[in-house]
Amino acid sequence: MQRLLDIENLRTTFDIHVGKVQAVRGVNLHVDEGETVGIVGESGCGKSVSMLSVLHLLPDYAKISADKMVFDGTDLTTLTPKMFRKISGDQIGMIFQDPMTSLNPLFTVGDQLIEPLRIHKGISKAEAREIVLEKLRLVEIPDPESRMKQYPHELSGGMRQRIMIAMAIMCNPRLIIADEPTTALDVTIQAQILDLLQSLQKKLGTAVIMITHDLGVIAGMCSRVLVMYGGVVVEEGTVREIFYEPKHPYTWGLLRSIPQKSGEKRKLIPIPGSPPDLIAPPPGCPFVARCPYAMNICNSTLPEMTQLSDTHCARCRLLDEGAPRVVWEGNRE
Amino acid sequence: MSTIVEARGLKMYFPVGRTLGGKPKKLLKAVDDVSFSIAKGETFGLVGESGCGKTTIGRCLVRLYEPTDGQIFFDGQDIAHLSEKPLAPYRRRMQMIFQDPYASLNPRMTVASIIAEPLRYAGASREYQNERVRELVDLVGLKPDHLQRYPHEFSGGQRQRVGIARALACNPEFIVCDEPISALDVSIQAQVINTLESLQEKLGLSYLFVSHDLSMVRHISHNVGVMYLGCMVERAPVQELYSNMLHPYTQALMSAVPIPDPDMAAASQRIHLSGDVPTPIDPPSGCRFRARCPYATEQCAQERPELREVAPDHFVACHRIK
Repeated sequence: MQRLLDIENLRTTFDIHVGKVQAVRGVNLHVDEGETVGIVGESGCGKSVSMLSVLHLLPDYAKISADKMVFDGTDLTTLTPKMFRKISGDQIGMIFQDPMTSLNPLFTVGDQLIEPLRIHKGISKAEAREIVLEKLRLVEIPDPESRMKQYPHELSGGMRQRIMIAMAIMCNPRLIIADEPTTALDVTIQAQILDLLQSLQKKLGTAVIMITHDLGVIAGMCSRVLVMYGGVVVEEGTVREIFYEPKHPYTWGLLRSIPQKSGEKRKLIPIPGSPPDLIAPPPGCPFVARCPYAMNICNSTLPEMTQLSDTHCARCRLLDEGAPRVVWEGNRE
Repeated sequence: MSTIVEARGLKMYFPVGRTLGGKPKKLLKAVDDVSFSIAKGETFGLVGESGCGKTTIGRCLVRLYEPTDGQIFFDGQDIAHLSEKPLAPYRRRMQMIFQDPYASLNPRMTVASIIAEPLRYAGASREYQNERVRELVDLVGLKPDHLQRYPHEFSGGQRQRVGIARALACNPEFIVCDEPISALDVSIQAQVINTLESLQEKLGLSYLFVSHDLSMVRHISHNVGVMYLGCMVERAPVQELYSNMLHPYTQALMSAVPIPDPDMAAASQRIHLSGDVPTPIDPPSGCRFRARCPYATEQCAQERPELREVAPDHFVACHRIK
């Protein structure tokens, strides 16, 4: 399969008055055509910021650097802003978490969808309207003609998120980045939106990067998963490798802190403490303060990625030769 | 087991808009005829989608709202329409933990004064306040040196513990937990849930646990009620409900929860509900779920189904279930 997005050693730093926040500290990520990659982690782990960095959507005080940032053969780091906008607008669609704050309340839905399309493609209003209607039907919005005349506040949360998805697929992108697309929605509506994303992906062959903190969404949607913590990727693998043979203590912690599907009464095992402060991140492993298996060496240097299979790698000293053997007992009974 | 809180025929209507004469134009029926009881030391889970009235029920039970109609028995006494003065002794015995630990703590008060506030209102002596605050901080797993700090210095999970300590200050018997974990990260959620569970063990507390996170409700509750558009559609002990769900809405709701296990997720079948929850202003006649229900019949449009006992302690409001 063809490689669509390839990023190496992405670093993003925010220069704010109290110091430099190192939000992303060397992330490698690649996405193949048509595949769904999940990025999971807690708030502040850098999962959203890394994707916003790729799209150049961060404010000026963010400093972004990368050894390699290639989208479909084009090096994104060397592009002028104008050329970049052409690529990102055409080929990468973005879906944000909260549809209410990402739509302009002062314009009708139709205006918001038609105008950018006209600017982007240089087509007439009538042509743009036809394309918008087609996309609205594609995202299963009932009665799209009358919806286009409505303002965002007149629509329900699920409907607004469908509008956002329509906006993201407007120019037939090759890649959709969905940043917590269902976190603000109720479960039954979440199920509708996830189904819609999956069916669109089948129809259009788009690759999807799914940013979420919900392991359930990951398990149902993604083929590959990156687990992020403290600005670095701590484990990467296929969805089965991450859920059934996780190797990083943070992944273990995440899996153990959610209730079992079978509903058996079992004490939840929380991860003690809270994530590190990224203004002064620990020099060693970011998880060291909360890790039950931490060793002295973990305090001093960030462990390298250990390759476990073609697809599976993790960043932990326990995988070194000669480290004490700690076995994941699994969270299934 | 004896009952601590019981709601009978609870109704809460909010007026929407006013005519020139000052009469409400319409009524928003947030809670419409809901009955259930909570035993001492038990956790009652209330689940449903946003706008189904679960938070309103919680607020009625602790009398932040005066219900439009119905009765609320707290330890045998009907408190639904009591005025403030006779209500005061009951207020102390029931408390609330709020959803957003960022919004529910006063940013200008130290943690010590936040936790001591209910004690100050109760007229406790300064010495007792100090002693009690130290006790509470220990109980919820915070450190004494946290006391002189301000809320912004804490993480979400720690703030929620401050909220829990404040709720516990006056030794309540009953606590309404209104989405206490939905603003927190996964790894922190488990910390708060474990704190709530161990406090229940130690102090014999009863909880009303309001949440839209069905797997957490399953984990923490003894009995669960499922709400839809102001009505309770199903109620049962937790094991019974999750193994034998009868109401079509409960089935759809449970099947919509993403399963954190790739094999099980692939094998599971989702029941699709089309459309959105209708508005509780002018709700559908008869069964409120009928517009989205795959099995709706003529009868559902005309008659509102009663909550009936179909198995021991298992109540369902649906015409289909005999």
